[in-house]
Order: sequence, then C-alpha cells, then structure tokens
Amino acid sequence: MNIASARQSASGASIRISRLEKRFGAVSAVDGVDIDIAAGEFIALLGPSGSGKTTILMSVAGFEFPTSGTIHVDSEDLTYVPSNRRNLGMVFQNYTLFPHMSILDNVAFPLKMRGLRTAERHARAEAALATVRLAGYGHRRPNELSGGQQQRVALARAIVYQPRVLLMDEPLSALDKNLREDMQLEIKRLHAELGITVIFVTHDQSEALTMADRIAVLRDGKIQQIGPARQLYERPANLFTAGFIGEMNFVDVRDESVGDDVAVALPWGETWRLPATAAVEPPAAGETAVLAVRPERLQLGASSPGHVITVTLSDIVYAGAALLLIGRLPDGTEMRARIPGASQLSSLAPGDVASFTIPADAMLLYRGKRR
Amino acid sequence: MMKTGRSQFWHSDGRRLSGLSTLLLLLPFFAIIAFVFVYPILQLLVISVLEPHPSLDNYARVVENPVHTRVLMRTLWIATLVTALSVVLGFPVAYYMSRAKGTVAALVAVCVILPLWSSVLVRTAAWSFLFQRNGLINSALMALGLTSEPFKLLYTQSAVVIAMTHVLLPFMILPIYGALRSIPNDYGRAAAVLGATRLRTFLEVILPLSLPGVVSGSLLVFLTALGFFITPALLGSPQEMMISTLVSKQIREVLDWPFAAALVGVLTVFVTLLAIIFSKTLRFDRLMGNAS
Repeated sequence: MNIASARQSASGASIRISRLEKRFGAVSAVDGVDIDIAAGEFIALLGPSGSGKTTILMSVAGFEFPTSGTIHVDSEDLTYVPSNRRNLGMVFQNYTLFPHMSILDNVAFPLKMRGLRTAERHARAEAALATVRLAGYGHRRPNELSGGQQQRVALARAIVYQPRVLLMDEPLSALDKNLREDMQLEIKRLHAELGITVIFVTHDQSEALTMADRIAVLRDGKIQQIGPARQLYERPANLFTAGFIGEMNFVDVRDESVGDDVAVALPWGETWRLPATAAVEPPAAGETAVLAVRPERLQLGASSPGHVITVTLSDIVYAGAALLLIGRLPDGTEMRARIPGASQLSSLAPGDVASFTIPADAMLLYRGKRR
Repeated sequence: MMKTGRSQFWHSDGRRLSGLSTLLLLLPFFAIIAFVFVYPILQLLVISVLEPHPSLDNYARVVENPVHTRVLMRTLWIATLVTALSVVLGFPVAYYMSRAKGTVAALVAVCVILPLWSSVLVRTAAWSFLFQRNGLINSALMALGLTSEPFKLLYTQSAVVIAMTHVLLPFMILPIYGALRSIPNDYGRAAAVLGATRLRTFLEVILPLSLPGVVSGSLLVFLTALGFFITPALLGSPQEMMISTLVSKQIREVLDWPFAAALVGVLTVFVTLLAIIFSKTLRFDRLMGNAS
C-alpha cells in the first residue's frame, strides 16, 4: 500500500486552473473557471456541447491561449507555454494515429521528438504497446486495426514518454457500446497502475460517473458543481445539475415558511413540511421553488413514512431490472417512478390511479421554476 | 476502400443498374477517348515505322542527330525546371489556402483559379509585354538604378520557364491543396502535444501526408510541360526549341510527317515510362493509409 501510494504521488502532477476565461469575440466560451486537481486524481469535465469543457482542455493542452487566468501544473505556470513543451499526454476523439507510420513508429514518435535513439525508442514503444495489451502489433498500419485497438495505440503513444498528466478529449465517443465499456476499464486500470493525473472530457454522464474521482459539471462556460459522483447524484447543487445528472422529477411549489422545517404549498392544494436539510437552495417565504425527487426513490403504496402522492398512470414500461411507471399528478405535472422487482406489479394498467410514498430524505428543494 | 469489387452504377433507390445500362452510360466517354486520342496516336506510331518504308530509320534520325537529341534533352530539362519551380512556389500557397478561412481564403482561391479561365495565349502575350526591351520589368529595373542597359528577357529560356511556371502553377496548387485539406487538424495538434516543434510537425506529419498531392501535381505539370507549345513558341528563342515546336515545324514547314511521328513516339514512350514508374514506386493508397 505504502509503495503504491508513494509511486502515485511521484508520478502524477497537480493542476491548478485559476479564473480561466476564454472569449471568442463577444462570446465567453469559458467564464471564470477555477479547478484544483490533486496529483493522481481522475477528473471529468462534463457538460452539454458549448459548455466550455473542450475549451478548458484545449487551454490545458496549449492549443488555445486563454483570454485571462492561469494554468499551473505542479506550481509551474504553463498558461502560455507552447504545446510541444508542456510534456502532457493527450488522447483525441478520433485516435489521430499518423496513417503513414506503422503502429510502432506512431508510439515511438514522441520519443523520437525527444531525441532518443532508434533502438531505445522501439524498446520503450514495444513496452507501452504491451501495457495496452497490443504487444506484437507494432509492424501493422493504423488502418489495419479496429477502432478500439487504434484508441489503445493512441493511449500507448500518450503514456510512452511518462507524462504526469493525461488529457482525454471524448476518447470513447467514436467507439460502440461494448468497446466503450472495455476501454473505460482499460483507462481506469492504466490510471491506477501509473498514478497519472487525468482530465477527461465527456458529454456522457454515465461515463463520467463511473470513471472519475470527481466530476466538474459545466454550463455556458461556468462550473455548476464539482464533486464526487455520489454527491452530484444524491445532492445536486442546483436545478441544472439536478436535471442534467440522471433522471429527476420536478414539481413547482411555493414556499410558505422557513424555520426548523420548510413548509411548501403543492399545486394541488396540500402543504407539506420538509426537513430543513431538503432545502439545497433555501427559498424565502412566499417565493416559488422546485421540489425534486429521483424516480427510483418513489415507493409504491401509502404504507411507509413520508408524503403520499396519487398518480394517474399513462405508461407502464418494462425496463429489465425495474418497472418504469409514468403518470401525472393531480395538477398534470409528469411523474416517473422506477420500481424494482417488477413481477408483482403486473396488475397495474394505464389509466389506474396509484399511490406513491416519497421518503422525507428523498426530497430536494431549489429556488426558481422548472423548465 | 473497395479495390477488388467490381465498380457498379446504382439507382438512387439502391438497385444496381444492369450491365447494359452501365455500358451505355460509359460508352460516350470511351468512344471519344478512342476516336480522338487512341486512334490518332496509334496512327502516328504506325506512320513513324511504316513510312517512307518499313524501318526504324525515323527513330534513328531522332537519336543520331545531335540537334534533335538536344531539343529532347532541353524539353526534359525545362519541364523538370518548371515542375520544381511550381512545387516551390505552389506548396506555400496551397498550405496557406488549406488553413485560411473566410474572405481571405476565397480571395486566394480566386487568384489561383481565375487565370485558368483565361486562355494560355492571352497569358503568354501578357508576359511578352512584360519581357520586352522597354517593357515593365526592364523599365522598373532601370528606374531603380539596378541596371543601365535593358536586359534581354524576351526570346530566352528563362522567359519560357517563368511563363510556363505561371501558366501551370494552378495544376500544382490544386492537388496539393486537396491533399492538405484532407489532413485533419488534430494531426498537427497531436504531433505538437507529443513534443514536435512546428518544423518537425511539418516534416514528419504534414509533408508526408501531402506527398500524394505533390506527386500528382508534379506529374500533371511535368507531362503538360513536355508537350507545351504556345508559350515556348512565342517567348522562346528559335535556337532553343522545345520538342512540340520541332514537331510542328516538321509537320507544317518540312512536311515530314513520318519524322514528326517518330518524335511524338519518343515523347509518348517517355510519358508512359514516367507514369508507370510513378505508379509503381509510390503506393498512394498505402501512403494515405487506405490499403485494405
């Protein structure tokens, strides 16, 4: 354990991104982003397209220079250093293996740029290929390999010169689903083995949730929330993250009083008292607010403790591990519930009115209105 | 890339055209090629060995007469020079075109393509004005005090090379531009992040990948230059003929068709050999990573 952790702290670099801003004309692609990444950490930048996640990565890689702000790697200011002198590893979405070189020459390319002799760089490239389980593929051409194999070669090429940071720009989005899952494991394994710091850009939230130690959720060039997967999923910091990560039910409510607990008026006339901890963004009395509940937290029936809702079912979808029930609340708001152990529920049919219980700790309250 | 599969025409709805319809669609093109290219060339080659009597005498005359071999060598030399100049001048333009965006890119493209729409004769005539004893170039040189006497520019080999390079440059630029455009931007970025300087990125990645464009541009320019007629005839010196001028002289002044045919035969052999060598030594498909 000690040896492993010592190696980890030795091989990854810490990264500090401070007040990063990038404007293209009047548009702010990145708008005051601060991220502190620990040595050896695996961090994912997650957001819809245009959220600025790629621009942040491009700034770290040195392909874009920021309008203002700084990027430090291990306290060295790299903000305006050209890419070729940053010594970072990078894997691109479309593999970017050079088609006119063999696999071995591709992997040896960064070593050639660093002035290593042919024999040594070939030996090291072979070793790197072995790390991604492609030993013996060196003499082939990139186009003779499958997409997954090409991306593994790209990975080998990015780590062969032992950079302390590995940047990945949607590296798995060109692969089909099964390959993608294999590659996720491969990347996780390499990260654990090498202790390298990873910045991973993706728009696929399940990829981010399963792979990263921490996830930064971005929208319009700003960080919405940064934290470990569990925190993001169980206690999203704002309405955007709540809606962006996973499935979420939203109900518009009005806040009536704030104190030891929060009283909210529901659209169909009931008033519920919620624990004060439910208010992620505490609204003022009289303000509109949004109540958020994950579909899998709803329990069928009115027997357990919590607040009870009645839902007129419109769709019942068999989804393997769980049954997805879709219906409407008395005021017409859509409500989804995922109920595991679907077999006993075969008696339900569209048009039925079902009761669900929402446990008190499953409710989250935000300021504003649902979109 | 499919290489082994038989090429087929398809209906827009995906059904395959019958063999007969395919044949009918291709026939006009091959008919034209056969009648205006293959037939006359073969006819000339036949004349070159059968007239005035069946022998290789006409070819012997080409090889034995030092005047004729010199014309042949000069033609090859000028074509080589023009090709080399076109690569040197054309590559940067093509590279710039492939990177530029918006109005600037459109402007450069227009500058490259527009001359193609005016006739070679017009462009050659323009050069003869510039090269004249009291033309623009000489007046400028004298005004700058670089020379007191006007240079002899017109009717020199340099004039021919300069004007031919100008006329043929677009045929070099466009294939190189095409090759450069097909190189994804990420290749340059990948090379940079892997530690390559701009120069190394260019030498190790961009240049090798643009080579097919350079080769096809060179082939196009070289082969066209070999048979160039108007420019050398108008700007060159009669003492320094190129082969097409010699051929034309034999046909129109000396009326020695069999000998002209033999000259064409020699040229045809050169061109064919060159094309074969290029296609054998450079496996483009391999270079571009399309081998399957």
